[in-house]
Amino acid sequence: MSRHYDVIVIGTGPAGLSAATLLTKMGLNVLALDEQQRPGGQIYRNVEGAGEARLNLFGPDYSVGLELVNEFRAANVNYEGGASVWQVEADGRICYSKDGKSSRISANYIIAATGAMERPVPIEGWTLPGVMGAGAANNLAKEAGLTPKGKVVLAGSGPLLLLEASILLKKGVEIAAILETTDLIPPADSVTKLPQALMGWKLLYKGTTMLWELQKAGIPHYRGVRNIRALGADALSGVEATVKGETLNFDADLLLLHFGVIPNTHIFRQAGCQMVWDEKLRYWYPSCDSWGRTNFEKIFAAGDGCRVHGAVAARHKGTLAALEIACCLGMIPESERDDLAEPVLKALRQDNLPRPFIDAMYAPKPSHFTFENETVLCRCENVTVGDVRKVLDEGVRELNEVKIITRCGMGPCQGRMCGPALAEIVGEYLSLEPDQAGLLVVRPPLKPIPLSEVAAMDLGDGGTDGGNWLLDKK
Amino acid sequence: MLKHSTTSTAEFKQDQAPAETVSVLLDGEKVDLPKGISIAAGLLSIGEIISRISPSAHKPRSPHCLMGVCYECLMEIDGVERQACMTDPEEGMVINRHLDSKGEDA
Repeated sequence: MSRHYDVIVIGTGPAGLSAATLLTKMGLNVLALDEQQRPGGQIYRNVEGAGEARLNLFGPDYSVGLELVNEFRAANVNYEGGASVWQVEADGRICYSKDGKSSRISANYIIAATGAMERPVPIEGWTLPGVMGAGAANNLAKEAGLTPKGKVVLAGSGPLLLLEASILLKKGVEIAAILETTDLIPPADSVTKLPQALMGWKLLYKGTTMLWELQKAGIPHYRGVRNIRALGADALSGVEATVKGETLNFDADLLLLHFGVIPNTHIFRQAGCQMVWDEKLRYWYPSCDSWGRTNFEKIFAAGDGCRVHGAVAARHKGTLAALEIACCLGMIPESERDDLAEPVLKALRQDNLPRPFIDAMYAPKPSHFTFENETVLCRCENVTVGDVRKVLDEGVRELNEVKIITRCGMGPCQGRMCGPALAEIVGEYLSLEPDQAGLLVVRPPLKPIPLSEVAAMDLGDGGTDGGNWLLDKK
Repeated sequence: MLKHSTTSTAEFKQDQAPAETVSVLLDGEKVDLPKGISIAAGLLSIGEIISRISPSAHKPRSPHCLMGVCYECLMEIDGVERQACMTDPEEGMVINRHLDSKGEDA
């Protein structure tokens, strides 16, 4: 028996929560799927189980999530946690795995609210135990109330690196150093964007307070850092970096890396959505209209998965997608859709005011990255930067060719951890922008699942599409 | 507790003792993991930072992203390779990291 819904929402971060809640309240049959066990996404991770101390630590920006999750629970959305979507089709069908069983279901509309991930930037030694994403430490604190013991070094770029530092500081963690690749002198275009940013002063105030607290605590904080290396034989022992030609060394038990945030696009790419390259922020995102509709009528993108604007904006983008879908399904007329959308659009514009300034301040630059031949690029298949440059020397000119020859991007993570850097490396070698070097093709299953699970699937529709649907992809 | 010989010095402590725990069989030994948090987070909370031996590099790895992206916490959970950061522990679960395998492909 196949299951059909009015709308399937993938992901229950702020965008997915707001979309699923609104659509269900409007009387539609909505299924919300999330691969995590609990709703909230990364930003509101385990907010229901956080307790008072953790809610206080992460402040009002985290507690907002509790309201969203409570509304979602109260609306009685069909919700399945621990559900991994492994295929999305443009006609509105999806396959997902839960509790060792895969199902193929369908919907009139799909909202993919897949969120964002940290930009993976390979550095020497980043595979050593003890090197993690800064977001990982944040997740562990939110989900499990875990605090690192020993000395911590934070390295990379972006406001979230400093946010993580300030949280660790509040938790009493010994921070050995903050190593920022951000330039010593702010980029010229950040200055021109400052007046507009000041109109969204709350975020800037938060950032300034954070910086001041870190400074007051006397934490060594460097900018213009290059050549960050994780040192150690079988585990992290220290961190090395250069600043203005001088080499710095720090003892470290834990190195937290963060090089900004990029949209999590695997679902869009697998479905065949048209992708756009943002040359300033150096990431891909799915092309979509102001409601979040992609080039496929049935597939919507909401939240940070279609450009990174943060949690508040994600919530608004989820609402906009829901309004348009409710209109398409005949639940509200266009006039009501527009009336309901107006305050949301206004709030979205207000929230986005500081964004151009922040983006200009922290925009990644190729000069910030140092890809050395010995560095492991593909963590799954142990392919080094040098292995990739060798096949480029031999005449290979495109990302997917590199993948086929070297196995870079062919492991279980399917290029999630190496794809962005691979594009930078190939682009640099060919003197092209990364988008001209190609984009790794993403195939189902999006998540590794046992073949026995696929074989045991009930295809539901009597095999009207010949059963070739799994093999039929480009 | 049997630990891999190359255990990292990186460790985490729990802000609060877990309200409830579940017993699992980890690499053949019975351990208690906190209930209601992922297996990956639970293992880190008891000092088990090594999540697997990389099958290609034959070296120990620890969880890197804790959000389902990196697959460094893939481990055999009740007979199936699963992401430990996306899976909650359940009473009687059998978890194998194969830390002595030198990372050969199975």
